[in-house]
Amino acid sequence: MKKLVFVALLIIAGFNCFGQDVTQTFNSTRIINSHSTEILRKKMWEYRIEHRFGDIAGANGGGQTAFGFDQAADIRMAMEYGITDKLMAGLGRCKGIGRPYRSLCDLFLAGRFLTQNKEKRVPVSAALVQTLYYTYMKQVEDLQSVAYFDNKLSRRVAYSTQLVLTRKFSDRLSLALMPTYIHRNYVSLSDLNDLFSVGFAVNLKVRKSMGIILEYFANVESENFRSDALNSLGVGFEFVTNGHNFHINLTNARGFGELQYVALTQENWLKGQFRLGFSISRNFKIKKS
Amino acid sequence: MNKFLLALCVIFIVVLYSFNSGESEWRKVSNSDAENVTLENVRLALGAEKSSFYMESFDPEKAKIGLELILKGKTKRGLFKSKAISSYFVCTDCHNIGREFKNSSDQNPSRRLDFAEENNLPFLPASTFWGIYNRTSFYNDDYIKKYGDIIKDAKQSLPGSIQVCAKYCSSGRYLKSWELEAIMHYFKANELKSKDLSLTNNQKDAISRIQLLDENEKADLLASINSAFTHGYSAHFAETMPRDDRKYGAGGDVVTGKFIYDKACLHCHLDGRVTFLKLDSDKLSAQMFLKYKSTYDDLSVYQIIRQGTYAMPGRNQYMPRFTKDKMSDQQIEDLMAYLTQLAEK
Repeated sequence: MKKLVFVALLIIAGFNCFGQDVTQTFNSTRIINSHSTEILRKKMWEYRIEHRFGDIAGANGGGQTAFGFDQAADIRMAMEYGITDKLMAGLGRCKGIGRPYRSLCDLFLAGRFLTQNKEKRVPVSAALVQTLYYTYMKQVEDLQSVAYFDNKLSRRVAYSTQLVLTRKFSDRLSLALMPTYIHRNYVSLSDLNDLFSVGFAVNLKVRKSMGIILEYFANVESENFRSDALNSLGVGFEFVTNGHNFHINLTNARGFGELQYVALTQENWLKGQFRLGFSISRNFKIKKS
Repeated sequence: MNKFLLALCVIFIVVLYSFNSGESEWRKVSNSDAENVTLENVRLALGAEKSSFYMESFDPEKAKIGLELILKGKTKRGLFKSKAISSYFVCTDCHNIGREFKNSSDQNPSRRLDFAEENNLPFLPASTFWGIYNRTSFYNDDYIKKYGDIIKDAKQSLPGSIQVCAKYCSSGRYLKSWELEAIMHYFKANELKSKDLSLTNNQKDAISRIQLLDENEKADLLASINSAFTHGYSAHFAETMPRDDRKYGAGGDVVTGKFIYDKACLHCHLDGRVTFLKLDSDKLSAQMFLKYKSTYDDLSVYQIIRQGTYAMPGRNQYMPRFTKDKMSDQQIEDLMAYLTQLAEK
């Protein structure tokens, strides 16, 4: 029986070869802030260091802060792992933008359930990303603040669910659509617990090792609430080397994770409130012997 | 369409399963039928000496485990999976397990490519496992330059070579004795038979009446049989082609080049299967190679094919070099011709 299963698997694997899956729609597991449909290979580890500096211009930017280099809006360090070729998990810790959260941890599971394939007539790749956020910051004493947790664990928790649809149109051009749903257990009176946003991204590969990325998230919300909130817009330059992936980007979002860059962005590009950010990732396998 | 594929799948399973009738099938091979008699038995009957790793027979169960180790690097032992031999490679990333030449004593790279094209085989930098049990010399010629004394004890010994390959070539570990034994049983099970050799009818006839031959006839037959198979594959390292000698694909065969790209390069690099360098049959990959074509950089195919890379901490998946005997300079030009065409797609 085992033999039969083995042979059947071989044959199924053989059938897969008939239609070649589209690969490298995006070069990294992230677009700028958002996830992409790329998943780490099985048993591959990735260590990520991501950074967002302070405002380049505007009231808090300019020469006084060395165009934002003096400040760190957010820093994320994370370890991510490919469970299978189509499923990955990650655990990260952000500094947090402090409005309201600091010390924000995230745990996510990302799975690609569709892979673009011409022969099989699958037009897009699709992945689902489920993230859990938890802040372990010391609660503030101000009863009005969102960071007054009243010693309840549930108030420290938020969730996001993101569907990422990508399509590689040519060797150079890829597009992505990212409908995103965020639920925060505890928000202020003027805010909403549930938030829906639609992201859109373009990746233009100039060379094999270099690309330009544009990413925009449009929040779908009522005007009566969240009057301070703005949409996040990012432009990025991507450099790919052997085992490394470098992103240098400009974005108005201060923080990492859907919870922060979609729900908590209040900066305005037109006021100079955009910042330089970068992410470096290093892939490696842990040697077992 | 899906139903059709499912039906085809079931038919395939039935057909393949009917071939795989287990133990009895292995045993049949050792019948003293002149076609199926093993090369080793013929040579021993003709007075040849036993090799240092001579095995009288093989255990089909162990051979099966050996094949699994070769294909996957690990197997199931009791309730648990055994530890992978290497976290980075399996044997078949660099070695084919089947025949690579029409003529069993051939080593010519262009005929190897012809055979690979005819049979849609990967075109790999290391020698095939087919007939490895019958070889007497390993890590030949220039490999001493790369590995030094590491291969001192492996050059004449198949088990020694397997260990060096497991530990150093695959950035893994030494095999446990049961693993080594299983792989040796697989190699023994797939040793050359007289039918695998390109023998004349006279030679075949002589084998069928081997007991009746006199000493002189035996010596002659042994000499002719010895020249009919490969005792050790040549391995001559080539220097990177000097810039002035490079033709950048001019006059190269694009179809051959495409085959080399698909079956040699993409065998490991397709979407970074084995390595971090992700390649695809896309314009951008080709343009990247063309940008570096006149350099001595790792991204120049002239350089990387001839020199490979070395394993280092944090990047143990290195690229082995193609020796002159595994890929000719003309084949590199064919590859360049294809890459040039791909870049202009």
